Amino acid sequence: MTEMKTAITLGNASLKKKLNAIEGPFAYEETAYHLPVAYALTGRPVHTAQEAIEVYNLTDENPFVACESVLAFSEQGPGREPAPYTGFIGDAVLRKLGYSLVDGSILGLALVIGTPGNSDTASRICRELQEKYMLTFLAGDVVPSLSSASVKLGLEYRLIPLGSTSIHGVHFVDIITRVALMFGGVVPGDPGRLLAYANQRAKAIAIVFPGLDNEGIALVDALRLLGIPILSLGGYEGGEWTTTLPQDAVREGMERKGIKVTVTAIPIPMSCSPAFEGKSIRKEEMYVEFGGGRSPAFELLRVKPASEVTDGLIRVMGPEIESVKEGSAVPLGIIVDVAGKSMRKDFEPVLERRIHNFVNYGEGSWHVAQRDLIWVRISKDAVKNGIKIEHIGKLIATKFRIDFPDLLDAVQVTMVTDLQAVLAGKKEAEGIYEERDRRIQGMKDTDVDLFYSCTLCQTFAPNHVCIITPERPALCGAISWLDGKIAYEISPSGANQPVEKGVVIDRDKGEFEGVNRFVKKASHGEVERCSLYSIMEYPMTCCGCFECIALMLPEVNGIMVVNREYKGDTPSGMSFSTLAGTIGGGAQTPGFAGISKNYILSDRFLQDEGGIERLVWLPSLVKEELKERLVKKLNELGHPDLFEKIADETKATTLEELVAFLDEVQHPALAMKPLL
Amino acid sequence: MAENSPDLGGKIGYVVLGATKAEDGTRSVSYRLGGESDLPFIGMKTSLGSIPLVAFEICDDPSYWSPIVTSYTGDLVSDTPEWATAAEQQYGADLVRLYLTSTKRRGFDDFPSITKVTEDVLSGTGLPLVVEGSNEPAIDSEIFQRCGEAGQGERLLLGTAEAGRYRSVAAAAMAYNHSMVAQSPIDINLAKQLNILLREIGVKADHIMIDPYTGSLGYGFEYSYSVMERIRYAALKGDTDLAMPMIASAMDSLSVKEVREADPVIRDDIAVAWEFYAALSSAVAGASIVCVRHPKTVPLLKLAFRELWAGKKPGEF
Repeated sequence: MTEMKTAITLGNASLKKKLNAIEGPFAYEETAYHLPVAYALTGRPVHTAQEAIEVYNLTDENPFVACESVLAFSEQGPGREPAPYTGFIGDAVLRKLGYSLVDGSILGLALVIGTPGNSDTASRICRELQEKYMLTFLAGDVVPSLSSASVKLGLEYRLIPLGSTSIHGVHFVDIITRVALMFGGVVPGDPGRLLAYANQRAKAIAIVFPGLDNEGIALVDALRLLGIPILSLGGYEGGEWTTTLPQDAVREGMERKGIKVTVTAIPIPMSCSPAFEGKSIRKEEMYVEFGGGRSPAFELLRVKPASEVTDGLIRVMGPEIESVKEGSAVPLGIIVDVAGKSMRKDFEPVLERRIHNFVNYGEGSWHVAQRDLIWVRISKDAVKNGIKIEHIGKLIATKFRIDFPDLLDAVQVTMVTDLQAVLAGKKEAEGIYEERDRRIQGMKDTDVDLFYSCTLCQTFAPNHVCIITPERPALCGAISWLDGKIAYEISPSGANQPVEKGVVIDRDKGEFEGVNRFVKKASHGEVERCSLYSIMEYPMTCCGCFECIALMLPEVNGIMVVNREYKGDTPSGMSFSTLAGTIGGGAQTPGFAGISKNYILSDRFLQDEGGIERLVWLPSLVKEELKERLVKKLNELGHPDLFEKIADETKATTLEELVAFLDEVQHPALAMKPLL
Repeated sequence: MAENSPDLGGKIGYVVLGATKAEDGTRSVSYRLGGESDLPFIGMKTSLGSIPLVAFEICDDPSYWSPIVTSYTGDLVSDTPEWATAAEQQYGADLVRLYLTSTKRRGFDDFPSITKVTEDVLSGTGLPLVVEGSNEPAIDSEIFQRCGEAGQGERLLLGTAEAGRYRSVAAAAMAYNHSMVAQSPIDINLAKQLNILLREIGVKADHIMIDPYTGSLGYGFEYSYSVMERIRYAALKGDTDLAMPMIASAMDSLSVKEVREADPVIRDDIAVAWEFYAALSSAVAGASIVCVRHPKTVPLLKLAFRELWAGKKPGEF
């Protein structure tokens, strides 16, 4: 065991001594960055021993400066180490390395250093780094150890032997430094920006075997300043390195630095593409089906601790496709376990909904509905081509990894086909669904400080801005507040942006200073104010995707809602399509608003106009669809009879008929404060 | 007209293409594009912006090129550097845009040829060069690295980056100090998103030109026109993520039915007309560079721009 604190002190002292021993002029070859670390930190080009010592003192005796001065001095001309050692790497090669880093063909940089006890461990770690697209630099004893195990070294193998001593590891630092100067806009002499770049942008890790000499320890320990995680494989005591096992070192380092391997191909014998999403599998084409009322089935996505999820693990519990009779219905449970540093429990339902898309991407697989209502089919053709139930799991797992690279670190899928296990799993899942519904339903606008915007539709409605709150889903009905939140986390520069509520301007109308500010900017100055809970004054703009339109009918002092599917006439004298043409395109039209169906059930619906008591007309299709929840809500509000008082097209399709009906049933809107 | 020209406040950023000897390159001219503070022809003459440039498009494998151009031009098309020389000296283009169509060949792996053709075309013409790299994501990395390296110091315009595929182009632009084309499929939001993605990996705004994708006349050009106007308008209203000069190439012009099936006697004229009107309209919508493929279109456009922009030079307002 080496005691770190002493080792660092001794290492630095020894480096200082070596630095003081150099003399005369010296320089690295093929670089415009002089001694790169010294140059980046101080802006001073170092070419003599005298200058080196000055910069060393100026940088509080920085061990990188000492190492690079010593090496630049000792490796000039004939001092250069023979192959396979590369020594200092010139700018031209570095430019290519930087290119590969930006381009993504290299995911990150790793330094492997120290004295491996056996060369197998070292070669295993290096192979893992190669497989994960890391460019690996080697310094000191690890090089002969790998050579003895016949590991091929060189740039083409992404394993670069820098030099024979531990202090050659400083080339790893001069490379990161030059990448920062070339690609990161870091200016020489600005150590703050260099450190910020290294900490935030440089994707670098260090793996340390035991047996590093004191100078090496001082050098490696200084990497911490650059935000480089140091993973020690043991042998060092005290200090702040992370001790880990050889088999975990690469994964842990990459995770700590947020370096992700991207997956692009789905390794199953079936084509997968959104192009197949719309196809269906008819009964005659079907080999096997699951759920859809013919057998019990469910799907469930859960977030788990990283230690409980093995990325890419697919299990089938119960019969596989070979033992399933053609044309039969089989029980199915799709259980997706995910882990990820930024993954959270409230993302579960949003991600779970994606199982639907993913299964439909398969040319021979089909999926409808959600939760414990799912209905899945696999086609005869697909089975003929070798598709198994396992492959559907593989498809789901891989698509999750491809579509959510930043969110998910690991995905494992269990496909359950055993009846008893499905029934048990389904029961458990149902408990979770209920809990989720409670969580989303329980969310209030007052519980959050951030709303989310949606400007997806600006493509055709240039100034339209949707503001999505927990109690007001997007007007298209497709994006809830949680969806907006997750969409933002997945794609921070996308169409869903966080909107600070800011100071409340009008509680009833739902007007907020922050929302107004956002809407003004996002609408390119066209819309100055926006009330979230009123349709009378400064209502939200409408793109064209609204599920329903709410509009005022001053003659009956009420508000009617018409849905997209309703084709007939409405008491307003206009059909849905005429209304849509009038209010769409990103305009703000007082008295009119585009809304989602679910918003009708929200406490915030028509809040400023007096709430749902204002609702006088709703097509029977929506009334029927919302009936259960709407009746429950009206009961809670103390209007058990209101549901029957809301007219539909069977009661009235003209204003005259509506007036007569409302009079007859004594609709509460008639007695409310005048709308105008 | 002046009352239609509100003071929008914003201004389009500058992009420099080409490097002369004085700028450590070998081009005979370099251009500074951008700087507009109004839509062309909306306000007064002073707000016309800089005169648009005409880029002539060539390729290194003419079997992927329009037969109208290859048959009009003859053997010249099989000598890419000579073709570039002609673009400058005979046709009078302001820029040459080289498409590396050879990379479309199945299993293309002759990477050294990419370096060679880029260098040869740079010797063939003194004009600033636009290089369009591979069409195949699998070889992007190798191709763009070579294009970037071969043109080091020449301040090329490298293309074309798209939302799902921008890293190699961006890497080459950053590593070798070139500018790049960021293309989005006729969609202002995607144009903006791509520019943000580029900014996030470190490409500077003054190294980006927006290609809003130009549909051919009669085949969607009006969408392109509208999106170009909106991009420019958003930029002038202060959206810096869209405040870059635009490049337009209605590359489908020569393959639309009306041109393809035209009477052979007048086919060249029809082709030229089709290219000319799409390019002219793009310039009116705000494009700083318009690209064409028929040699006869170049002088016509130059003449039209000279007349409309009243003899201004590039960069002059």
